[in-house]
Formats: sequence, C-alpha cells, structure tokens
Amino acid sequence: MNTSYGFKQYVKEIFTGSKSLIIGMGITLKHMFKPIVTVQYPRQKPIMTPHFRGHIEAIIFDDTKSHHCVACGLCARTCPSHVIKVQGEKTKAGDRKYGKQYFIDFTKCSLCGLCVDVCPEKTLKFSDEYELAFYSRWDGVMDIMQRLEERK
Amino acid sequence: MTMKTIDDININERLYQLNLGPQHPSTHGVLHFLLTLDGEVVVKAEMLIGYTHRGHEKMAENRIYEQFYPNSARMDYLSGMIFNTGYCEAVEKLCGIEVPKRARYIRVITSELNRVASHLLGVMDFVMGIGAYTPFLYGWDDREIILDLLETITGSRLTYNYSRFGGVRVDIDQTFCDSARRFIDRMRERFKLYNDLITGNIIFIKRTVGVGVISKDVALDYGVTGPTLRGSGVNYDVRKSEPYSSYEDFNFEIPTKEEGDCMARYLVRLAEIEQSLRIIEQAMNNLPDGPIRADVPCFITPPAGDCYHSFESARGAVGYYIVSDGTRIPYRLKVRAPSFSNLFVMSKIIPGHFVADLVAIFGSIDVTVPEIDR
Amino acid sequence: MNMTQLPIIKDIYGFLGPDLLVGVVGLLLVLIFVPLNSAFLVWVERKVAGHIQLRPGPMEVGPHGILQSLIDAVKLMCKEMITPDLADKPLFWMAPCIVVIPAIVCFVVIPFSPVMQIRELNVGILLIFAFSSISGLSIMMGGWASNNKYSLIGAVRAVAQSIAYEIPLLLSTMSVIIMSNSFKMSQIVSDQSTVWNFILQPVAAIIFIICSTAETNRAPFDLVEAESELVSGFHTEYTGMRDALFFMAEYTAMFIASSMAVVLFFGGWHGPFFSGIVWFVLKAYFLVFVTVWIRWTFPRLRFDQLMNFAWKVLIPISLLNLLVTAIVIKVL
Repeated sequence: MNTSYGFKQYVKEIFTGSKSLIIGMGITLKHMFKPIVTVQYPRQKPIMTPHFRGHIEAIIFDDTKSHHCVACGLCARTCPSHVIKVQGEKTKAGDRKYGKQYFIDFTKCSLCGLCVDVCPEKTLKFSDEYELAFYSRWDGVMDIMQRLEERK
Repeated sequence: MTMKTIDDININERLYQLNLGPQHPSTHGVLHFLLTLDGEVVVKAEMLIGYTHRGHEKMAENRIYEQFYPNSARMDYLSGMIFNTGYCEAVEKLCGIEVPKRARYIRVITSELNRVASHLLGVMDFVMGIGAYTPFLYGWDDREIILDLLETITGSRLTYNYSRFGGVRVDIDQTFCDSARRFIDRMRERFKLYNDLITGNIIFIKRTVGVGVISKDVALDYGVTGPTLRGSGVNYDVRKSEPYSSYEDFNFEIPTKEEGDCMARYLVRLAEIEQSLRIIEQAMNNLPDGPIRADVPCFITPPAGDCYHSFESARGAVGYYIVSDGTRIPYRLKVRAPSFSNLFVMSKIIPGHFVADLVAIFGSIDVTVPEIDR
Repeated sequence: MNMTQLPIIKDIYGFLGPDLLVGVVGLLLVLIFVPLNSAFLVWVERKVAGHIQLRPGPMEVGPHGILQSLIDAVKLMCKEMITPDLADKPLFWMAPCIVVIPAIVCFVVIPFSPVMQIRELNVGILLIFAFSSISGLSIMMGGWASNNKYSLIGAVRAVAQSIAYEIPLLLSTMSVIIMSNSFKMSQIVSDQSTVWNFILQPVAAIIFIICSTAETNRAPFDLVEAESELVSGFHTEYTGMRDALFFMAEYTAMFIASSMAVVLFFGGWHGPFFSGIVWFVLKAYFLVFVTVWIRWTFPRLRFDQLMNFAWKVLIPISLLNLLVTAIVIKVL
C-alpha cells in the first residue's frame, strides 16, 4: 500500500480491494456446493475411448481364428526403444512363415504406435488395458501370442 | 563460483547463499537456482540447468526419422502436439512433401487445443506459486476436457504421436467437432470466473503489477519469444510472420501489452486462449474434405541438405534444424527451445527483487525445464 | 489456632477446595479436548479444501474419511524423529513443546457458558494476549535451532509479522473494553445480552478477525510457512511427533482466536432459545470455517506488503475506531 499517490487513492483502494476479496470468497463458497468432478478410481472405473493406446495385443481374425503375423520383423526394426522380439517358424517349405513367439518388454514400451502402423498384415492393435502392474521387472516381458491364446 | 561451508562463513559478512534447489515445490521442473541474498533481497541469481538432460538430439543421430516421433513430444510435454507437428513439417519441408488441406486444418485444430491446455496450466501454475491453490484446480478442470477430447482421436493425453510425415494418423469425426464446440462455449463462460477470482483480486494485483519488468530492449537482447516477449510490447508471433500449415487462412490477432510485468504476461496468455478458440472455430467451420495423409513411403529418405523450420509453441518460437546426408538417419538434428532464452532473462531482472517475487516471476515466464535440457 | 488466625489460614490455603477441584477437572478436560480438536480441524480443513476444489477430500478411511486424522496421528507417532547434526539440540527439542503450552493455557479464562469457566481472572484478556505472544518466541527458537537457511528466513518473518499484527489486535480489543468497562471476559459476555458487539463495532470486529488470522500464521498471511517458496519455513526440519505438535499448536491457536472473537464480538454463549455452551461452540467453529475458507481462496501477501498493510492500514483504522468509540462513550 504505497501512500505516495494521495489519500483519496488510498481510501478508494481499501474499498475496491475489500469488494474484490468478498467476490472471490463468494465464488469459492458457490463452488463448495457444486458436485465433485473427479472419478473415484477403484470404485468407478473410467471407460476408455476406442482409439486409446493401451498396451499392444494381437487381433483375432476370423479366417485363421488367430493372428496374421508372418514374422517379417518390420515392427522389431521400427521400434525406437528396441523392445520387440519376434520368433517365427515355417511348418513346411514353401509355406508362409508363422509368428510363433512375440515378446514385448512392456516396461520399456513408449506406446508410440509405430509397430501398429508399420505392420503389413495389420495384425497388431492397441488394447484398452491400463492396469498392468507386475511384482518383478521380468513379468513385464510378455508373449503376445500366449496372451491371445488366453483371450480366446 | 565456490560453495561456502559452515566453517568459512564470516559472521560479519552480510550476503549469504541460498539454494532454491533442484527439488522444490514450486519450480515446476528440476531447476537449480543459486541465489545470493542480502536479507530478503536477491543480489545475484544463477540458474544451473542440465538435471534432466536425456540426450534427445544425440538419439536422433542414431535413429531413422520415423523413430524420432516419441522423442519430439517428450521434449516439451505440455505442447507435445505442437512439437510433433513441427517435426513432421520440418521433414516435409526438407523432402518437399505437399500435405493435403484437410490434414493441415486438423493439425491446426489439435495444435490450438494443445496451446489452450498449455496456457491453462502455465497460468494456473503461476497463480499457485503466488499462493492461491484453488484456481489451479478450476483451470485443470477445463484442461481435463481438452485432454479427454484429444484422447478420443489420438489415444493418449499428454504425449500424442498424432502427426505423421504427410498428414495425420486418424481422421476426426462429427462427435469430435461437436464436443470441441461445446468446450469452446464453456471456456468462454469461464473467463468471467477467472477474472473475478484472480485478475480482480487486490492481493494478486499487488503481487504482480510492477514486478519483474522485462523491458523491450532486454527482451530482444536475450532472444526472448512467445507470450513473454508479447507482454513486453513486441508484436512478434511466428504464426503471423512466417505462416506455416495454412495459418494464413485464419483471422486472429496477436495480443500485446506494453508494461512487461507479471500481470502483463498473465493477461497476454489469457487473451491468447481466446484467440486460439477463435482459430479452432474457424478451422472447424471451414474444414475441407479429402485425404488425411499424402502418399509417402513407409521409411523416407530425404535428399541431402539442411532445413530450418520454426513454429510457435505455447512458450515461444521453436526451431528444428535438420541436416540430412541422404540416408534414412539424420546427420544432425538441433532443436531451438524457447524456454532456454526465456529463462536466462531472469538473471538480468531478478537482482533487486525479493525471494517471494522470484517465484512469481519464474511462474509468469512459464518455463518447461525438460525443454531446456532436452 | 484461634479465631484471629483463621482468615490468614484461609488466605494461604484457600486455593485448596472447590477452586482446585474445578481447576484440575477443567485442565483435564482441556487436555482431552485439544488433540481431538486439532484432529477434527485437520479433517474439516481437508474436506472444505476438497469441496471448494470440486473434489471430495479424504474418503477412504472411515465414513467420509473421518478417521483420516487419527491414522495420520498414528503415522506421525511411528515416524523417526530426526535431529540434524549441527542443530542446536536443547533449543531444537524445546521449541515444539513451548509452542503448544500457551495455546492450552489460554483455555483457562474463556467463558464457555455462564457456569463453565475454569478460572475467573480480573485481567483475563491480557492473559490470553500475553500467552499468544510466547508462540513467537518458540517459532524463533525452532527456526534458529534447525540450522537451515529456509527455516531461519521463515522464523525471522514470523517474529516481525507477529509483533506488527499484535498492535491492531490490541487496539480493536480496547474499543470493546472501553465499552464494557472491564477486562473480565464474563463481564464482556454478559454485557452483550441485548445486542452483540459485532453490530456496535463492525470495524473492530473485522480488524480483530484479520489480525488473529495473521497472528496464527494462516493464509493469506502465511509467508512464514509458504509452501511454494520456503518448503514449510520454520518447521521444515521437524519430523514425526514434533511436526504434529506444531500443527496441533496452530489449530488450537486458531480455535482460541475464534473463541476470543466470539466472546468479544459475537455474543459469547448467548443464543435465541437457551444460553449455553452449544451456541458458543457453534459460533466458534463457524469462525474457524471462515478462516479455512479464506485460506483456500486468496493468494498470499508478500512480506513487505504484509508489513505495510499492518502499519499503514490497520493501525490508523483501529486508532480511529478507538477515538470514535471513546468520544461516543463520553458524550452519550
């Protein structure tokens, strides 16, 4: 409160100041009686949108009742964090390769979506799981094909 | 600069050093201030940075161009969409790729939504540093709507990897436009709440008017950009001076204030939110149909050469300088972060202010520390 | 022993008897009330802060989080009480104890109801002001003994603030004392049976509430423990039960300040249908709620603005108020 600008200004400032404080208090009192806007998490779980980027999973296609992965390795090469490792096998010579084991280290995946975009067979997609918690680091390395079998 | 221990403190000396250290409730980010104080008045302030250096530019030299998408959003996570889009535009400039008009408009809409979210956070963090904890949560309530809106199309809330070379990844639909329009109406009503609660408050006015004045010459000397510069009277915005991504189609103003104190910067940011809402409305009204991604190979190989692309993030003018040697891996990628220049202006203006003012000034400059260290 | 010595014996041993019993029982009740009160006020503060900020506050422990402060107290008791190596040990250990004692002692003279007052003193108000000044000493001790620059800055600010804001506090109380012509708290309350002092002296009431907020270091005058700048000020280095004692002292002082405001300005235990302790407690907790509400609404004042406010605004206004009161009382 600088009194270098006169007595009238000083008095006026006290009145406008008090009025602004009372207005502010009225606003918070009004908000105190409004309903809450937070989601009480363990009791109410939010529903994820269709494009939500949860962790990667393989799509189940109708014709093979399983995935379409041919173990080309493009996703493993595109991943910036180098967390994908694909193992493929051929049942007989001249046939397509079939992705047998597909490991992703979920603790390091940054959910960028490059593997989903680059896959030529479009066999990967984002799930809507966000509640992944593990007891040890190694539990984060998961085999997607195994999870697909469990999901069927 | 030598640190003093308790043994060599001369009891007759007046000045003492205080670390507003790396861990602190109010420096949002890991930033180390080494202050020399005389009682409560700051005599000298040094900023020590580098605590969150992660080596993004070096990572760019070991990855192909597509693998850099996640890195670009994580440098300044509050304007992740703007940085992402800017990187794509820089590479498109280098390769000479033409982006379809619908993709450009979608990029503008999402970038402006991100700018509104970042300004809400910046302004409310500033107010929280001054001591009012409640407006912070009111601002985040609004920001939550934007984050949910952007999650419906991109899939994540903070580090969006939405732009790709040649366009965007996923198309927007009518529900997105309707929700965005509802948000714009709601946001326009909330300005009255913020004016009553914060801007008119006598305590806030006393804390911010006349505090931390950055004069025009000092700002231009230190290379300050963004709302910090516009609060000091210089009318410079990259969206108007070097338009990119069809910003020249839209009708908006650049709010500027002359005083250069904390209140001026705060008012400039609030006014910029209103201008961003105008841009979003115009873009949604005139959204053309068409493809959302140009025909670009999966792994691009730019021709040898270099290019500099600058764009306006929420904090100031960002620049990407890419040097390519004709292979799929860039030779050098340099990012010009606005917070770097904005922060160091503080060492010039702080001496003479109180410690309490330091927190206010730091909040009003709105710095994101990981952007400084990269 | 003959009849002439009886009055002397009565003088010397007069305190044994009903007064002593009342004193002991009263102090026991106060000592039970103080921790329960601070636990309750912590819960009230967190719930009010939550609802102002559009969120529910503590909800998990107990119905609507009512057992949260109890569990927090248990947690604080289990924490290790760390003493910094270079701290001044006697002062460091004494500071939390000293800060709580004045707050408890002040309960002795407050008239909760027409019959419930532990001890009637002729200078009751002076006792309360004297003891609330002692808390400034303990803050200084806590800040100095921590051997931490943040704590020292906080403590120094606290002392200056405490001294500056005592003056308008006393001056506004003087206006009420002139009106009722005595320092006795029960007398002041009985004089408000027809009309509360708040109607007769609105300016003094507002100044009293502002100054008592500043004396207890609550927002918007909480530069002393400003979390954004000083990481808790003078109680940065205290952990465990010592920190709990500082909090207990703060909430008890808040309650005492509100009770003082109720006694001086809001009619004490007077109420519409029946007089009694219920009205007193309701009014005191309403004023505590107003204090909490103010904390979560306004930013905090910078230190020089705080001192300017005290010396250049509050003191002139309260002096003017005192002058006008004195003239009116003399003339009418």
